[in-house]
Amino acid sequence: MRAVTLYAVVDVDKCKGCTRCERVCPVLAIKVENKKAVVDPENCLGCANCEQRCPEMAITMAHLEQSRVVQESLAGVDMAAVNDLCRKAHLHPKQIICYCTATRAGEVAAAVLKGAKSPEEISRRTGVRTGCKVECIQPVLRLLHAAGIAPERPAGGYQWYGLTPTVWDIPEEVKKKYAQRGFYFDEDRKLLDSLVETGERREINVARTD
Amino acid sequence: MLRAPIKPLPPRRSQYGVAPELVRKRAAELPDMVSVLVRDLFPDAAPVIYPGENGLEVIREATRKQMEKVDLSMIKPGDPVNVLGSHHGFTLLGGAPYAEMLRTIRDVVRERTGCTDIRLRVGVGLRFRESEEYIKAFGLDEYYEGKAAGVAPVDEGVAIETEIGTLYGIKKIYDARWIIHAHNSDVREVHFHRQVDRAVKPFGMSYARIETRSTYHQNLGPRAANFVARAIFDSPFVQEKFACAVFLMMSPSGVVGVDADNDLYALNDRVTYLGCRDYGKMMTLLGEIDEAITILDFPSPVPYVFAAGVIFANFAGANRDLFDLDDPLPPYTWYTEAFYGEDGRPLIEGVPPVNPAIKVVIHNYAWGGYPSAFFTEHIPTIVVGREQAELLDRDPQNLSYTKHTLLAEDLDTAVRFAKQVAGTDKILAFDGASGALNVSRSLGEYLLQKAPLVSRRVDGELLPKWLKQRGIDPSRIKIC
Repeated sequence: MRAVTLYAVVDVDKCKGCTRCERVCPVLAIKVENKKAVVDPENCLGCANCEQRCPEMAITMAHLEQSRVVQESLAGVDMAAVNDLCRKAHLHPKQIICYCTATRAGEVAAAVLKGAKSPEEISRRTGVRTGCKVECIQPVLRLLHAAGIAPERPAGGYQWYGLTPTVWDIPEEVKKKYAQRGFYFDEDRKLLDSLVETGERREINVARTD
Repeated sequence: MLRAPIKPLPPRRSQYGVAPELVRKRAAELPDMVSVLVRDLFPDAAPVIYPGENGLEVIREATRKQMEKVDLSMIKPGDPVNVLGSHHGFTLLGGAPYAEMLRTIRDVVRERTGCTDIRLRVGVGLRFRESEEYIKAFGLDEYYEGKAAGVAPVDEGVAIETEIGTLYGIKKIYDARWIIHAHNSDVREVHFHRQVDRAVKPFGMSYARIETRSTYHQNLGPRAANFVARAIFDSPFVQEKFACAVFLMMSPSGVVGVDADNDLYALNDRVTYLGCRDYGKMMTLLGEIDEAITILDFPSPVPYVFAAGVIFANFAGANRDLFDLDDPLPPYTWYTEAFYGEDGRPLIEGVPPVNPAIKVVIHNYAWGGYPSAFFTEHIPTIVVGREQAELLDRDPQNLSYTKHTLLAEDLDTAVRFAKQVAGTDKILAFDGASGALNVSRSLGEYLLQKAPLVSRRVDGELLPKWLKQRGIDPSRIKIC
């Protein structure tokens, strides 16, 4: 769940229209028009990426008069499909994937199943990627990939570049090469698998109880 | 022996913390506080060169001396060179020694190569302007003739092909013919990197894009994570640019030297060995504490406040041996955090609890800019001062931090209440006191009593195990 309490405000006298803000906004809520940045207050989640990267210090964060909450509802979503998507992405539906908003994999999976086709859309629906703006891009991309979606990068943007390797992809020769240097690939894979398997067992138990 | 409290590191003016004038009282000023020197706890602790009577000059001399053994002949006068730094270095002893090392590197490169296009690029973590603040505070932009810049993981990226696949670096880090890796050996986030390839880590963090950092914290697991750094460093893209590494060598007592090498892995082995040896004792000792009120009192985010070179996040996991790679999951890492369900209970068996010896945390002075709600969800926490609570409430990374905290008007009130509910008078301050722990008298006496046993255990049992797990043969380590 993401509580939205702030929004970005542009000082047009300082703004030089460099588009840096536009390139780093995780929800595409700021755009340069006529050489000045313009904020879309409906979509701005107050993450402050634009404020933090503006080279002219032209952006400040202001308090919203009325805060709002961003969260994808799981109501009416096929939970079996949510669980299945998480499993394909090697995630437990209840595990946290965004440490700033405590958003769990199941909620992001639900957003995907309800039609979100890009990290930007997922962020607008769930609030992920709008806290630290750094750590949760990969599970988001993994869930989209597991759903068979290949999202398009925002044109010219730095929001994200692509999916990266996981512990399930490490080649055997790499594991062998570094086995004596303190990297525990197979053991960590086992640990992460055990988490996913726990989720699966829980589903089976719930089904039996039903 | 117990001594008068050592002056803590002063508050720093930053957009990520409250104004220094709002930090009205420090933990060291509380009645009954004393100081225990690292050297009194562990008489065999390595001697420090800084702080010392000759000030920063020793850092300059040590950097010059160490760089003499480094080959810089590959750098031609017309080549652009990026000296790569990290914000972490500026959190060590106030930042001056690291800044001095960065200045000296520039001077040596210029003198020996004739190169004039020397830039400073300083990476950050989750506070994207923090490096800019340090560059300004230490006059580094002037020193680097207007060529110093802070870079952030959301800045323009560059794809790097590695032996495990494509990872991403920050374009501005690599936009020169040569790079010089200027870092430090402070162990710091041992819960994340597990002292495996510590010296290589910035290639997967401070110099890396969000995709790579997310790979580290979400895709690989708690003991395989730091491989992203090695994968990037070993890539042809980076190898073609790498000139050398220069490190400020740290211990819980202070700066023990400077090290430099063209071979990062040789330096890495020395960093691994010294980190396990010097920080291993202090962390093991903190793990012996049976109960304590912990006061955060340092200009850094919650997990990064320092006591005798050890960060609070390490104390939060000190109920387990963070160096022991047979133990898969520390009590605090982001993997651990992910493994807790909505009801606050672990999703799987075997998730270790946050150090139960920490009875209460008093947040007297610590910054935002790092997701820290995990700590307030697991440890009773009192925030001192309404301004500080408001700062955290505004922070996009800490929107729920104060949902689980109490608010006290001042430090004295917070300590009085904490003692009452915790039933202990043992206090440990994470306040950056140099080469010492500022603690209550009762805890000071306790630590002095425990230290000799810890020292023997680390030397005889733990250190050999830690080094073996990392493939380090101590007989082959030559300390510079």
